[in-house]
Amino acid sequence: MIQRVLALVKMELLKLIREPANLFMNLLFPAILTLVFGLAFGSLGGADPPLFDMMAPGLFAYACIFIIMTVSMSFTDDRENGLLKRINVTPTTSTQFIGSHIITNMLIAVIQLAIVYVLSFIMGYRPNVDVSGVIMAFIFMLFLSLCSVGLGLITATIAKSAGAASGLSFIFILPQMFFGTFIILPEGIRIIAAFLPSYYVTDAITTIFNGGSPFAVGVLMQLGIIALMSVVIVILGIFLFKKYGKV
Amino acid sequence: MNDKEKMENLIDELKKDLSSKNKEIVGYLEKIEALEQEIMKLQKPIPGEASKVRSKREKPEDIFDPDSASAIIIKDLVKQFDDVTAVNGINLEVKKGELFGLLGPNGAGKTTTINMLVGLLNPTEGTATVGGYDVKRDLSKIKEMIGVCPQEASVYKFLKGRENVELFGNLFEMDKKVLKERADKFFETSGLKEASNRKAKGYSGGMIRQLNLIIALINDPKIVFLDEPTVGMDPRARRNTWNFIGDLKQDDKTIILTTHYIEEAEALCDRVGIIDYGELIALGTPKELMKKHDAKDLEEVFMKITGRRILEGV
Repeated sequence: MIQRVLALVKMELLKLIREPANLFMNLLFPAILTLVFGLAFGSLGGADPPLFDMMAPGLFAYACIFIIMTVSMSFTDDRENGLLKRINVTPTTSTQFIGSHIITNMLIAVIQLAIVYVLSFIMGYRPNVDVSGVIMAFIFMLFLSLCSVGLGLITATIAKSAGAASGLSFIFILPQMFFGTFIILPEGIRIIAAFLPSYYVTDAITTIFNGGSPFAVGVLMQLGIIALMSVVIVILGIFLFKKYGKV
Repeated sequence: MNDKEKMENLIDELKKDLSSKNKEIVGYLEKIEALEQEIMKLQKPIPGEASKVRSKREKPEDIFDPDSASAIIIKDLVKQFDDVTAVNGINLEVKKGELFGLLGPNGAGKTTTINMLVGLLNPTEGTATVGGYDVKRDLSKIKEMIGVCPQEASVYKFLKGRENVELFGNLFEMDKKVLKERADKFFETSGLKEASNRKAKGYSGGMIRQLNLIIALINDPKIVFLDEPTVGMDPRARRNTWNFIGDLKQDDKTIILTTHYIEEAEALCDRVGIIDYGELIALGTPKELMKKHDAKDLEEVFMKITGRRILEGV
């Protein structure tokens, strides 16, 4: 089983490196975004007060949301090229196959967090956080990547082609981008944010990076919510893709 | 006339009537047969041919040999897609070590049959066993012993040829050393050795199809399904692939080959099942079929049974 999963993870990581669109969306885009926002709103660019300090925690979630697009495109592309069928006639189970996608995207989320963290630091952001806080932020990002994989699977179920998947993925990307990351929301809109995984991740990371305890009741409650959300979304994604995804 | 005589007269009249009707029916049947022969001569597709074909299909008792060692047994297999019956009650037995060809026009039901045997589709009715395992119950066992070369060349274009082969070898949990040895052997014999360390994106269509075939064989499967493996190949590449498939037979593998190329079926197959409108309409060695239908090749066999050419499609 491990041999199969590792082989699939290796393949997915090679896809990330060798396919320019994947590389851009997963790694270059978060880097460019951090640099642009850092220069525009950070102390390095001369902003006073540096708005970037308020935006930076939201950028971590922002980067991870785009996994929805890459996962949905990857599944639809593999389906179009008959590769899902081909894997389906090997002893690989669907759990192993989707599990390998989850592992790969968790690794990508970790890399994204590291990139955004380092670049934010360069841009003058100084989070008030210790090692346990950083670890907790990683855990939140892992759950958000899990949500993104699940939403990617749901998108791939609906989309007929990789091109359609890239467009349809914005159904899940846009609300999370605008209502669940660094944009400060009016009170009335927050009700929408309560249904978005990225909101809980941004809120918790903001608390942790502003010196709050990573083990505070509020943070732990948010961890519970995002964990539950990710499990439900992934199970729903797997169910829908297996039943209606036309593998 | 008493009642008895009246009834006897009535019976006589009915008999005469029946006799004249019989003559009329025989006349109609003769006309139908003559028209059918005319249609055959014209060699054009006939809508609704399936009903005529049905009466000619092989019966199960002609097919199954209970004493034989069978790699595949198919009984009354049916696949229905909404109102379309893609496979309609196929009965078939493939012996171990046999190279069996499923021959028929595009859309005849060959790929659907294969897809049910490898677990990509659930049969609507009927049963099938592959290597002794039921396709409905023991799919995981079946997947461990088969190799499938799909009709569409399914390879990861961003991976190198060798990386593609290694990926699928690892999905079968092959020993690394054995995997490398088999990959080396296949790349050598297929002429892809030089290209094996290049990304598949840069391969020609023929090279992709060869890589497609190597992936299907890397796990040393006991039963190999080759779905139109030479479609789109130039004659030279096709000939090379035939040699490659011929070599597999020496390894005592059971091979199921679907094709709509007559010469491919004649050159490679021990036995051939001709499939049309989802039904098996003829079964035997190419020689037997040609002899039985007094035909010079399998194309003529198909034409004599259906009134159409194979390449015309369904």
